[in-house]
Amino acid sequence: MSNLNAITNQIHRRTFLNATGVSLGSAALSALMARDAQAMDEYRPLPHHRPRVKRVIYLYMSGGPSHLETFDEKPVLAKMHGEAMPESFTKGQPIAQLQGQKLTCQGPLIGFRKYGESGQVISDFLPWHGKMADDLCIIRSMVTEQINHDPAHTFMNTGTAINGRPSMGSWINYGLGSEADDLPGFVVLTSEGGRNPQPISSRMWSAGFLPSQFQGVPFESTGDPVHYVGNPAGVSMAQQRRLVDAIRKLDEHRAVGWDSVPTGHGNGASGRDGVPTYNDPEVAARIAAYELAFKMQSSVPGLMDLSGETQGTLDMYGAKPGDGSFASNCLLARRMAERGVRFIQLYHRGWDHHGDLVRYMNICCGLTDQPAWALLTDLKQRGMLDETLIIWGGEFGRTPMFQGKGGPGRDHHIKAFSMWMAGGGVRSGLTYGATDEFGYNSVENVVHVRDLHATILHQLGIDHERFSVKYQGLDARLTGVEKAQVLHDVLA
Amino acid sequence: MKFLMAVRGFFLLLVLLTLTARNAAASDQIDFNRDVRPILSDKCFFCHGPDDKQRESNFRLDQAVQDRTKIADLLRRVTSTNPDEQMPPPKSGKHLAVAEISTLQRWIEQGAKWATHWAYVAPLKHDLPKVADTSWPANWIDRFVLARLERDGVKPAPDADRITLIRRLSFDLRGLPPSLQEVESTDLEQFVDQFLASDAFGERMAVWWLDLVRYADTVGYHGDQEHHISPYRDWVIDAFIDNLPFDQFTQAQLAGDLLPESSTDDKIASGYNRLLQTSHEGGVQAKEYLAMYAADRVRNLSGVWFGGTVGCAQCHNHKFDPYTAKDFYSLAAFFADLDEAAHLKKGSDASPTVRAPELRVLTKRERVRAEKMSAEERAAFEKSARLTMISSAIEPREMRILPRGNWLDDSGPIVTPAVPEFLGRLDTGDRRANRLDLARWLTDSKNGVGLLTARIMVNRFWALMFGEGLCRSLEDFGAQGQPPDHSELLDRLTHEFVDSGWNVRHILKLIAMSRTYRQASSNSEFGGRNSEIRSSVPHSEFRIPKSLRQSRFRLPAEFIRDNALAISGLLVHEVGGPSVRPYQPAGYYKYLNFPKRDYVADNDQRAVSPRSWRPERTAVSASGILQVPQFSEAGLRRRQGLEAVASRRVRALAAAIPASDVQGVRCPASRGMHGPATTLEHAAGRAGVAQRPHIRRSRASLRRPHPERGWRHRRIPHRLRLPSRHLANPRRH
Repeated sequence: MSNLNAITNQIHRRTFLNATGVSLGSAALSALMARDAQAMDEYRPLPHHRPRVKRVIYLYMSGGPSHLETFDEKPVLAKMHGEAMPESFTKGQPIAQLQGQKLTCQGPLIGFRKYGESGQVISDFLPWHGKMADDLCIIRSMVTEQINHDPAHTFMNTGTAINGRPSMGSWINYGLGSEADDLPGFVVLTSEGGRNPQPISSRMWSAGFLPSQFQGVPFESTGDPVHYVGNPAGVSMAQQRRLVDAIRKLDEHRAVGWDSVPTGHGNGASGRDGVPTYNDPEVAARIAAYELAFKMQSSVPGLMDLSGETQGTLDMYGAKPGDGSFASNCLLARRMAERGVRFIQLYHRGWDHHGDLVRYMNICCGLTDQPAWALLTDLKQRGMLDETLIIWGGEFGRTPMFQGKGGPGRDHHIKAFSMWMAGGGVRSGLTYGATDEFGYNSVENVVHVRDLHATILHQLGIDHERFSVKYQGLDARLTGVEKAQVLHDVLA
Repeated sequence: MKFLMAVRGFFLLLVLLTLTARNAAASDQIDFNRDVRPILSDKCFFCHGPDDKQRESNFRLDQAVQDRTKIADLLRRVTSTNPDEQMPPPKSGKHLAVAEISTLQRWIEQGAKWATHWAYVAPLKHDLPKVADTSWPANWIDRFVLARLERDGVKPAPDADRITLIRRLSFDLRGLPPSLQEVESTDLEQFVDQFLASDAFGERMAVWWLDLVRYADTVGYHGDQEHHISPYRDWVIDAFIDNLPFDQFTQAQLAGDLLPESSTDDKIASGYNRLLQTSHEGGVQAKEYLAMYAADRVRNLSGVWFGGTVGCAQCHNHKFDPYTAKDFYSLAAFFADLDEAAHLKKGSDASPTVRAPELRVLTKRERVRAEKMSAEERAAFEKSARLTMISSAIEPREMRILPRGNWLDDSGPIVTPAVPEFLGRLDTGDRRANRLDLARWLTDSKNGVGLLTARIMVNRFWALMFGEGLCRSLEDFGAQGQPPDHSELLDRLTHEFVDSGWNVRHILKLIAMSRTYRQASSNSEFGGRNSEIRSSVPHSEFRIPKSLRQSRFRLPAEFIRDNALAISGLLVHEVGGPSVRPYQPAGYYKYLNFPKRDYVADNDQRAVSPRSWRPERTAVSASGILQVPQFSEAGLRRRQGLEAVASRRVRALAAAIPASDVQGVRCPASRGMHGPATTLEHAAGRAGVAQRPHIRRSRASLRRPHPERGWRHRRIPHRLRLPSRHLANPRRH
């Protein structure tokens, strides 16, 4: 029926003023109408195809982890250690803090080994990742376009460095809606630990030009998870309920018109006393917002209360309730997944290793390695991994060249870095793409950020090319106007 | 599916039959700009429009229409069902509906006349139309509106009741609720004059303008370091209070430093050029950021003064409008005399940032105050002078066209400052054109595009008073924008604006005094409250455009906060001053502040104007959660309705859960409960919260006594919550 509505709308929209001049032959008309019908299929609601997963958990390693010390082993770079970096690579290329400095090769600062049946190669900083190697699809050939943190985050999250565009979590919730009726569809948690945690702006989970209800809601991982979620002292839930009811009643009056004109006409307006009649969608939405807020008052504390988790589970993650750690956030992510949150993004800030890379990798990996494994394993044990897409990665990688802000480290690098995906529909145990022998350029099966976005949308049942919103006269898409491709090779 | 097709066929037939009859009265004449260009722009221009890089088959529509054979071909292609011939091709994802084809066909039958896009044609000073009901119009604006309504066979909405109207005027012109005394007023004109002359008017207009020019008190990229710019904000407020003509307002901002005998105020105003989002992150590449800043400036210039999306031409010629990439970089060249490289070299994370050129100034208001002081007081007072970023022309940087917008690519030709070619050229002889030439051209109604600029601005003024512009796409007057709902009225207002000497207050008063403005707001899409409209006009196409009637919409975040303070009697009426940090929940900024430091809120209850605008997420409300637009192009048009203030759910929490810091709730509550009030409604009325006696049906809810304590809640921060809902959720009707 909605299809028919869409058609009548469409006909109304333009035909109304213009149709008097229709003088096409009736045969031509029916042929054209058939085409109209075909085009109508384009309007059919999401998903475009059968979704492979229900949700995304995005482990965002903020600051830019080194691919050369995680998933991309480079023996040649080891041999070149201390030598000048060949200028053929670096000439005319974007560079961040190493501007104007002598560029020398920095060999890998850690060993690598093969894991599992798949023989995936993973560094010794990430032994827990080794345990789940057969579940991961490691992409070694990522590229991005922005070399400084803020624009690079913006690019990774919104597909462009221009501010004001929606983030992927907002796009996805806008397209698919939330499965949870008492929690937001897009939740952000952050933790920190490592070198000089760089700031992260709420633009990264902004709804941009999409309706603001689709923006990510940051939950605090310590203290009150959401501001004002608790009642003030002396106010009970029953009182709160009465308050929300009173507001609803006031809003309902507005919804039917404040002057009490009998409403026999509007959408679903009955006009009878005592029956809520929402002929104003804005007010209906507002009433819903209050209801959700009220529900969140109990659902959020319930979500954050880890007392029902067994000690075994807590130990598995390495989580101490209320510590705000990445481990606790991973456990919360699982709980949100269970409750239907569509897009869960966990930022860990501390991966900006311009110097003392070994020390800080130990800290960052120490804080995130086991929890990431625990999350994947926990989901798997609960039969949820197959309906979840997990993504791990930062906003860029790090240079094969040495930087020494207090011990060897590496600068920002955008021509090559590693990420991994796991979960529903992902070819596990696969290493995809490759960089050159220095780890400077992605050279084989290069994966652009846009391709990653297209693939995420695809797994959720969305065709990125048909998923657009009119903005500034353009059909704006998460993947933009440049070509983006779904990485079918990494999908099972 | 078959069934559906049958239904569809039947339905279409029905519609066509109905329409044929119904439309006999409507104009049969196709208006290219209104009817045809939007179709061609959206469906065809991508390949057959102004961008020669993307053009397919060397077929450019505006040229092809000169050629009969090509026109015939066009009709054949758009009606073809052969996928290889059909236009637009199926793979484009674009599709022409039957009605659109029929429009194209009629256009062709009528001679396929091409016209310059309406926004690039100087507005005409249309004669006032004749109307049948001569008693309705209050001024000439109403003649245009009524003539349109009469043509469409609909009546205007009845006048709003006095209290609604006064509240509407008060919010529209000052962003504050009326006082109880003001609500008693009966002289509308006196009332409007009084509002327009108030300081609050300047603050209200500043809220609007500062959005447009993306004003912020912090840097925007990578952290929330503050920077020196608050005197610029004070200048904007005072400019509106002093009713500075808009042409001078424009020139001072774009080129105050270049004006002959540039005054301190002109220099403060030139801070406009420094408002953009900047990065102070270590390791930024100067060249990249200079390119980003240049682009940002062009985007803002274009959005605000051109009503255009020149930003689209950063990487390629515009797909829909005649802006070229060369135009983009030529516009950027106007700003090449601003040195933004200095702060990049310093790579400083300091807060406030060090961003020369800065000037230590007393604002106009402060200088006036200082004059009345003794020498001693004055010396002390002058120590409070603030630094502010200004423009100061240096030797212009080289500006090249960046191929595909790539800042690493130096192969593009060098450009010098120039206005978009299709709009004309600046006559500066051998002298390199500068920002002052640009500003003058923008506001010169004879030799420049002054009339086009004025039209963009009066449209925005209209939107301030109706919630919609006469052209609904305020920020895009291009081919992908919307043709105006009433172009004759828009054009005539434009002339009025220019003829009045770019007098902002004059235009706002004219609108405020119109009968059109006075109409009661309707509450639904289909004519709502005005049941007469609803019953006689079943189809949305004939409903009165939103821009020609009044609507209800949520107030901006700043107004909500100020409203709460005003009603509670806590609002401090003091204009300007250093920016203050609004209250925030603990840890609200912790992901953002860099270098790490504690956020310390100022206790400030002035109207919103001196508050700190943060590009991140400005928390201006008393409860610290309401948000204003994020720092981006989004500020070009504030969202209304439920989207007005960001995340609905979080906001609902802020509103539904009495935060202990909302002093605004306590004061009217205690005021309302003082004395023998018998109902909450009375209390609310006395408290000045709800000056709307017409909420009849709300009474039942308002009148409900507390289940245990009846009406007698005397010491009640939390009990008396209903008025607080009005506080937190006021609408403008």
